[in-house]
Amino acid sequence: MAPLILEISTRGLHRYETIEQEVTSIGRAFDNDIILSDPTVAPHHLKIIRYGDNSVEIVNLTEVNPTRIDGQLPESLVTERLPVALEIGRVHAQLLAQDFEVAPTRALAGGGRRGHLFGHVTWAVILVMLCLLAGGLEFYLNAYNAFKWSDLLKYVLRETVLTIGAFVLALSILERLLVNRWEIRQLVTSISLIYLLYYLSANFAGMMQYLFSADWPTILFRFGWNLALIPVAIALYLIHISHLKKNRAIMLAVLIASPIALPSILQSPELKAMLEDFSSAARYQNSLSSMDIHLKDRVSIETFVEQAQNLGRGAYAD
Amino acid sequence: MQARLLFRILFAGLLLAALTSPPAAALDSKKIYQLNQDRVFQIRVLNRETGKKSSIGSGFIVGNGKQIATNYHVISQVILEPEVFYISYIGRDGQAGELKLLGLDVVRDLALLGAEQQVGEPIRMSPLPPRGAPIFAMGNPLDLGLSIAVGTNGGILNQTDDSRILFSGSLNPGMSGGPTFNDQGEAIGINVATARNDISFIVPSRFLTDLIELSASDEFASADDLKLEVARQVLGYENSYIDQLLANDWPELDLRQFSLPGVISPTVRCWDNSARLGAIARYKRFQIRCANKNHVYLDEDNKFVGDLIYEYFWLESDQLNAIQFYNLYENLNKDQIDSKTGRDIVSNFNCKTWFVDVSGQEMKSNLCRREYVEYEGMSDVLFTAALTGHKNKGFFITLIMTGVDYAATLPLIQKFLEHTEWRP
Repeated sequence: MAPLILEISTRGLHRYETIEQEVTSIGRAFDNDIILSDPTVAPHHLKIIRYGDNSVEIVNLTEVNPTRIDGQLPESLVTERLPVALEIGRVHAQLLAQDFEVAPTRALAGGGRRGHLFGHVTWAVILVMLCLLAGGLEFYLNAYNAFKWSDLLKYVLRETVLTIGAFVLALSILERLLVNRWEIRQLVTSISLIYLLYYLSANFAGMMQYLFSADWPTILFRFGWNLALIPVAIALYLIHISHLKKNRAIMLAVLIASPIALPSILQSPELKAMLEDFSSAARYQNSLSSMDIHLKDRVSIETFVEQAQNLGRGAYAD
Repeated sequence: MQARLLFRILFAGLLLAALTSPPAAALDSKKIYQLNQDRVFQIRVLNRETGKKSSIGSGFIVGNGKQIATNYHVISQVILEPEVFYISYIGRDGQAGELKLLGLDVVRDLALLGAEQQVGEPIRMSPLPPRGAPIFAMGNPLDLGLSIAVGTNGGILNQTDDSRILFSGSLNPGMSGGPTFNDQGEAIGINVATARNDISFIVPSRFLTDLIELSASDEFASADDLKLEVARQVLGYENSYIDQLLANDWPELDLRQFSLPGVISPTVRCWDNSARLGAIARYKRFQIRCANKNHVYLDEDNKFVGDLIYEYFWLESDQLNAIQFYNLYENLNKDQIDSKTGRDIVSNFNCKTWFVDVSGQEMKSNLCRREYVEYEGMSDVLFTAALTGHKNKGFFITLIMTGVDYAATLPLIQKFLEHTEWRP
C-alpha cells in the first residue's frame, strides 16, 4: 500500500502529512494522529482508512461541522479515485496520492543571481538612493526662492522617505499575513522602481500636455497610473516575487490598490472636470515648457483672429 | 402799425425786466423737502405670494404725472422673475399702487415706471448746476422714512463716461432712484450709487428726459422681451464702447522688452500690481493692471458687467535654470475671470489654443468664451497670451471683457496684439 498525502491549506500556505498507517484519525484532540488546531474542527472530526486494494475510506465522526467530501456530506465514502477534497470545519484539505504531480518549480525573483535587480540588496539601496535624488530634484526644480539644504532634506524626508517607508511597511505586513514571509528587500526594490516610474511618467505627461496642447496626456497619466499601473505592478509582484497563484494575485492586487487608487482618482482635478457639468473657471491650456516643442503651427495674428471667429459658444450646464 | 409798435415796446420792456430782475431765491433743504415730500415715493419690489418686500429704493414723479422714475437696479429683480415679483410705490401719506415697467436705460441705471392714474404733480427737471453748487438728494434710506442729504456737485466723472456725476453728500441704501435737486427745487439727477462715506454718484437728468421721450406708453409684452431689451441695450453700449476703443490712438506703455498698449481710453486706469517679493526670491516679476470703471449693473444674479481688464506680467531670472523658471512661469500663468457664478447664470467656458506670432515672438494664446443664460448674445471673454521660447524671460497678457458681443471683441484683441511690440 503506497502512503497517501494529506495537504492542509491554511492562509494560502500548505502543510503536508504523510499517511502511512491503516487508520489515521484527524481532529483537534491531542490523541489524534493529525492534529488541527482550528476551533471549527471537532475533537475527533474524521478518520481515514486505507485498504489493501488501494481504496480509501473517509469516515465522518462529528455532528457539528460534519466533514464535506468533494462538496458532499456523506457519513462515509469509499473511493479509489484521488485526489479527494475535504472540508474539515473551515480547514481545506486534499487527500493526494504520493505520486501526485506537483507544480513546476518557480524560479526565485532574479533567478537568485546577484546581478539581477531583485537578486541583491545593493540594487534596493541604489534604487532608494535614486528615489531620494528624484525627491531632491523635484524640490530643487520647484525652488524659486533661495533655500537651505535643511529645507531640501526635510522635503525629501517628508515626500520620499515617508512615502516609500509607508508603502514598504504596509505591504510587508500584508505579505507576512498572506504568505507568511518577509520580503523587505524585494519590496523596497519594487516600491522604489514604482516611485521612480511615477516621477518620470508625471514629468513626461506634462511634456506631452505641452506638445499636444491638450489635457489628454495628464488624464491618461492620472487614470492609467491609478487604474492600471498600480494594480498591475502589485499583481506582478505577488505573482513573481510572492509566488501567489495568478487569480489570487490579481484579486489581491485590486484589493490592495483600491485604497491608494480610489482616493487619488476621486480627488483628482481631471475626474472633477469630467464629472462636473459646470465650472465657473476657464479650463485653458496654461502649460508651458522650457523645451518649447509643440505640434500646433505658429500662426499670424490675422489667421488667429480669423480662426477665432469660429470658436463655438460655451456649453450650457443642465 | 401803431399797435404792432406798441407790442414790440411792451415785449422789449418785459424782456428787459426779466433779464435785469434778481434770480429766484435759493431754497434751503427744509424748503426743498417740504415742496417734494409728496412727490418722492418708496419703490418696492414685492413677492406676489408673500406680499413682502424683496428690495426697496426710491422714485419720483416725472413726465405726465403718471410716470415714476427710479434706478434700474432697484427693480431689476422683476426682469429675471416677473412671475414672482411686482413693483409698487408707497407715499408719505400711505398712497400706494402697483406700477408697470415702461422703459429702461440699463447702461445709465434708469427705469421708468407707470401708474394706473395720476399720482401727483411731476417734478420739473433742469440741467446740472455748476461744479461746487449745492445739491440735495432725497430718498428713503434703509427703509427709515423720507430724508434729504445735502452735498455739492463734484462734476462729471471722466473716468467712466458722461453718465455719472460726483455728489459729495452721503447716499445710503434705499435712496437709490430718488431725485437730486438744485437749489431751485428742480431735479438735476437721480441718486444712483455710493462708493464710500460722502462719495456718491448721481445720473444727470438729461438721460431721464431722453428715456421719457423714448419710452413706450405701455409695458413690455413679455418677460423675454424685457431680457432681450436689457441684452440689446448692454450690447449696444459695449459695442460702441469697443468701437471707441478701436478708434482711439493708443499710447505706448513699456514693460521691460515689450512696448504695449497703455491707457487706451479715458475710462481706463492702470496701476502697478507687482507683488512684493522677499529678498530670497530668485526672480523678478512686474505686473501692470489696467481696468475701466464703467460697469453696468445687469441684475441681482449677475451684478455688474462691462469690465475691460488687461494685465501685463513680466517674469525674469538670472538665477533660475530653464526648468525651474518654466515651472514658476507655468504656475503663474493661470488668470481667470474673477467672478463666482453659477450654472443658472452662465454657460461653461469654451477655450481654444493657438501659437500666435506677435512681433516676431511666439505667444501661446488661449481664447475662452462663455455665454449668459438669460441674455441672448451676451458673453464673457478671456484671452491670454504667454511668451514662449526664452529660457529665463516670461511675459503674458491677460485681457478680460464681460457682458460683451464675442465677435466685437476680436478686433480689439487683434489691435492689442498688433500693438504688442518686442524690443530685442
